[in-house]
Amino acid sequence: MTTLLGPIGSALNKRGLTLAMALALVVLVAAPLATILVQTLYPSSAAWGDVLASRLSQNLFWRPTINTMIIGLGVAAGCVLLGGFLAWLVVMTDIPGRPAIAFMATLPFMIPSFATALAWGTVFRNGRVGGGGGLLEGLGFAVPDWLSWGMTPTIVVLIAHYYSLAFTVIAAALATVNGDLVEAAQMTGASRKRILFGIVLPVVTPAIIAGGSLAFAGAVSNFAAPALLGLPVRMQTLSTRLFGMIEIGQTERGYVLAILLIGISAIFLGLGNRMLSGRRSFATIGGKGAKPRCFALGGARLPLTMAAWVICILTTILPILLLVAASLAPSSLSLFSDWTLHYWIGSSDPAFARGQPGIFHNPLLLSALTTTLILGASVALAANIIGILIAVALTRQKVPVLSNLVSQLSFLPMLLPGIAFAAAYIALYGAPIGPLPALYGTKLLLALALTAAMLPFAVQTGRATVSQISGDIDEAARMTGAGFFRRLGAITLPLAARGLAAGLLITFVNVIGDLAITILLYTPTSPLLAVLSYSYASDGFHQFANAVTLVILIISMLATGAATLLRGRRRQSFT
Amino acid sequence: MISLENITKSFGNSNAVSNVSFSVPEGSFLVLLGPSGCGKSTMLRMLAGLDQPTSGKMQFGDTLVADGNTGHSLPPADRNAGLVFQSYALWPHMTVAGNIEWPLKVAKLPTEERRARVLEVMEMLGIEKLANRYPGEISGGQQQRVALARMIAPRPKVMLFDEPLSNLDATLRVEMRFELLKVHAATGATAVYVTHDQVEAMTMATHVAVMNNGRIEQFDAPDRLLAEPASAFVAGFVGTPAANLIPIENGKWFGTMPDPLLRDQSGHAMVRAEQITVADEDGPRTFEAVLAEVVPMAGRFLVTGIAHGIRITAVSDQVARPSGKLRFRLPSAPAAIFDKQGTRIS
Ligand SMILES: Nc1ncnc2c1ncn2[C@@H]1O[C@H](COP(=O)(O)OP(=O)(O)OP(=O)(O)O)[C@@H](O)[C@H]1O
Ligand SMILES: [Mg+2]
Repeated sequence: MTTLLGPIGSALNKRGLTLAMALALVVLVAAPLATILVQTLYPSSAAWGDVLASRLSQNLFWRPTINTMIIGLGVAAGCVLLGGFLAWLVVMTDIPGRPAIAFMATLPFMIPSFATALAWGTVFRNGRVGGGGGLLEGLGFAVPDWLSWGMTPTIVVLIAHYYSLAFTVIAAALATVNGDLVEAAQMTGASRKRILFGIVLPVVTPAIIAGGSLAFAGAVSNFAAPALLGLPVRMQTLSTRLFGMIEIGQTERGYVLAILLIGISAIFLGLGNRMLSGRRSFATIGGKGAKPRCFALGGARLPLTMAAWVICILTTILPILLLVAASLAPSSLSLFSDWTLHYWIGSSDPAFARGQPGIFHNPLLLSALTTTLILGASVALAANIIGILIAVALTRQKVPVLSNLVSQLSFLPMLLPGIAFAAAYIALYGAPIGPLPALYGTKLLLALALTAAMLPFAVQTGRATVSQISGDIDEAARMTGAGFFRRLGAITLPLAARGLAAGLLITFVNVIGDLAITILLYTPTSPLLAVLSYSYASDGFHQFANAVTLVILIISMLATGAATLLRGRRRQSFT
Repeated sequence: MISLENITKSFGNSNAVSNVSFSVPEGSFLVLLGPSGCGKSTMLRMLAGLDQPTSGKMQFGDTLVADGNTGHSLPPADRNAGLVFQSYALWPHMTVAGNIEWPLKVAKLPTEERRARVLEVMEMLGIEKLANRYPGEISGGQQQRVALARMIAPRPKVMLFDEPLSNLDATLRVEMRFELLKVHAATGATAVYVTHDQVEAMTMATHVAVMNNGRIEQFDAPDRLLAEPASAFVAGFVGTPAANLIPIENGKWFGTMPDPLLRDQSGHAMVRAEQITVADEDGPRTFEAVLAEVVPMAGRFLVTGIAHGIRITAVSDQVARPSGKLRFRLPSAPAAIFDKQGTRIS
């Protein structure tokens, strides 16, 4: 039974795989983070002073930080309210069409936040910063600045994007209180209000905190929304400032901002965690008899149903429809007249759109499309292969210390704002390391950073698929004498194929919708679709930006749909 | 104390409970026994006030608690009833003491008395050491005791249990059975207890209602269920081992062995395991069977064989020969005969 892989395989059988994965994670995750810290301290730590305590620090750090915090807290509160409201309706009441609402409420997260931000602009933009007004101005309303630009629209757009997170977490928690726990309280004669505040809310609190801190972390690291809606009126957040610093070559200051951004997001995620671990594990005892009972809404049923559908449609279908209209209408003031396909397929015409050809005549678009697809596919593949290897290593080989390190490092990118993570990659791989050439400006660097950023999700998928296959099945194969790789290929992978394929597609969707990492690391000669859309938008070519965004959305929707089909309908459990 | 009159509960077009009437005196221990899906939980939830009957009347003592015809229904808290859920339904964010105290708080008892009651019930069930733990930090059996303590602390006149022991392992079950009876005796409340475990029913009940398909097949004292089953369903459901129901056709056992005692009847004859003997040789009323299993029990053996596709169990003093074949001898008279619909005819 000696195969070529025999010796390697048997070495890997013991602890080699864990070791290899630990090394990969150090290169992909730990090293860039260490470098960014080191580079702000050596040879000089002046950047820290500049950012934190100098005449510039007001503009460099404090104001962006305050803006970031307001956005984070506002978005967290909004997401908990909106997500919690929908979760309550779906889980605890007799509202009609609950599975449909539950499905719709998970969709907004699949729509890239720059798409929602652009859609906001099509309606609420005013002409103040050029590029023409939006639909409301076209209808004759004077749209005030606070509604067109800056804080309010950023917060609203981000809530519309992130409330899905809070919904998912809170709905899961509510499903555990529903049924017997509430009825046990009803038996005592407690009033509805008392049951809500004495039983339901306390049991759901951990989920509310978890949902809120996830939304907070997402909002403070988001780049697209504040960049598209805030930058035109000079509202800076930490992520836009960080981007600006790197763009104008003040990289050390940018690195300092990156570290601070990581710090803020980590503090809040950590606080959420602490509040959770301080409490007892609220796992409820399931079993037969815990049948969910739905609370009759009575007269409030119709208005609440309407409210739920309005929320779902406003955050999913409407933005997409607005983008479609806005990619066809020559004047942003009247979205529904004089539609033309020029912005999609027209050739250059000096009388039209300052001579810009339609996106399918822009050679950059075609190259961006292929680059995006290839990059998305290869990153998805790489991240998931590493993900499954890590999952195998973690479940099959328990190595003291090393296993723990692998598990922690693979989860770390989840806590890191994408743009700060990208900055760390520039810090480490931007300059030649020994014989290795500098990777800055190459697609390889972008691919590496995206792969690392996707790891937490990929590892989770990997773990789910690996745990689906019980140890027994693997052991049965082992009894036949098959080596490690042989078992992986012949037993583990075929069994896990569906789950893996779905995981691949979701990773792919996340990659092509990412702007925070790509905006710092893309190669100017062949940008990605998301970057192209962003640069069209910042140059004021909104129709083109919308058209490119729609291309991304169509690809995303196809991939998401395929993933949903592959996963089957098991995930919708709110019937 | 509890009396039901033609209670029916329907979900859509199907009846989960149909036309149930019975009454039990104060202090009795009523067990609702039946297979899964027969409507036991639905009955209990109507007694608790969590569901309303579609039609029929329900009284606790002199109080009309629910009337499906007028839609009148007393809310759960005003019925002076407590319910132990199968899942225990302990509130995970409150300590053991907190769980027991909360219903008393809702009932607006003064602090002093609350404390005394919590202590009293915790001592009664031997869980005073767990007072400050959370439900997630105690074992299943302990959770069960906490659920029981929480239910009895407000001193309900009616105690309701929905399969409270089914999540426990066998030894704990026996122990908790005893514990429950103790609590019942100490409080003097009327208990209604749902189970599909007939051993629980036989050991605990003063009254048993055997349910099937939403109807009561028999309402009786436990020993009467064994002695005088009212239907084939009851005969085949109760007893350890349950009695044999042997098909008869025109006065012939298995449709092949004529016997004048069967008087030409068709349906099933009930023959208890202790009435059947293992015979050494062929004779009147004997038949051959293929040995299926031998279970030692209390110094004797339950010998089960398969004849004409039916499992027949007999009690025997010696182990059957391991030849794989054996012979059973039927008694001279069956204990009961049921017609094809399962109704008792003699
Ligand atoms: N809310 C409901 N809607 C529709 N049908 C229901 C509902 N609750 C119960 N039923 C039906 O009523 C019948 C009786 O259910 P019930 O829960 O009372 O059974 P049970 O005797 O307690 O069974 P088990 O031993 O499995 O707990 C079942 O057929 C069940 O499907
Ligand atoms: Mg039940």
